[in-house]
Amino acid sequence: MSAIVDAVRSALGEAVLGADAGFGSTTLDVAPARWADAARAARDAGATYFDMLAAYDLEADGFAVVAHLSRPDAADHLLLRTRVDRDAPQVPTLVEVYAGAAWHEREAHEMLGVSFAGHEPLAPLLLDPSAPATPLRKDVLLVARPSTPWPGDKDPADSTGRPRRRTPPPGVPADRPREGA
Amino acid sequence: MTGRPARARGVIGLVEERCTVCMLCVRECPDWCIDIDSHVETLPPDEEHRRPRSVNVLDGFAIDYALCMYCGICVEVCPFDALHWAPTATYAESSAAALVHGRDRLGAWEADVVDQPPLDARAVVVDPGPRAR
Repeated sequence: MSAIVDAVRSALGEAVLGADAGFGSTTLDVAPARWADAARAARDAGATYFDMLAAYDLEADGFAVVAHLSRPDAADHLLLRTRVDRDAPQVPTLVEVYAGAAWHEREAHEMLGVSFAGHEPLAPLLLDPSAPATPLRKDVLLVARPSTPWPGDKDPADSTGRPRRRTPPPGVPADRPREGA
Repeated sequence: MTGRPARARGVIGLVEERCTVCMLCVRECPDWCIDIDSHVETLPPDEEHRRPRSVNVLDGFAIDYALCMYCGICVEVCPFDALHWAPTATYAESSAAALVHGRDRLGAWEADVVDQPPLDARAVVVDPGPRAR
């Protein structure tokens, strides 16, 4: 159905760990070691347009790295995905295959701390130097959260003195400052 | 409002009379941009031999549009449709602090809401299921 998907499957064989056809796109899961090989096979099959690369946090399961590659002349496209461990999140760089991947890899490194072997140095791209390291990791606490009183702490019943159990918002430590405290 | 689709999601407005100060929108808001001030008033009972009634009275309702990311969760969660989308887009200010819009601005946007046109013949209407109904 998709020439690009077939090309990557035949080039990688058993190294394609799985496929997902959700939302009308095919996502192929590959091992991190074959990441660049998979992208090269897709490019050689005509997927000359590197759309984007992004990483996201799977918590205990590490990080996923996804790239969207497409073939503009045939409306054919592929999502390529790999998963890396949390302790050593590293995948081979795609810069050799698609030069445009450089910015995306710098962003993924800056936001989540995923590194790309063969692409050094991964210079910061967007964040202010004062920003916390790897802010898109789910275990990084937003600085503004503990220091800002949560407006949801307010309760109309407070003026009558009735105590009320409140559910703290996500991402906020239990010892945060309370409204009126 | 001309030139904007009827269902345009420009800004979130408030119909004050419908707000019961339940605080659901404030607590659901992912970026904490809604702030409600309120107090409780005790009203005489409806009938004789009943207890006096406690009513929440809204003192202040503000949305900080410098923080709002227009996710619409507050509109979805409001049990009495006090919050609504309006197609308005002209509420820019020259400073971020001035983007905190209070009751007067939020209430005025109801006038911009236009009647929704009938759904397109090809529209797919999804049944939300018994829990959502």
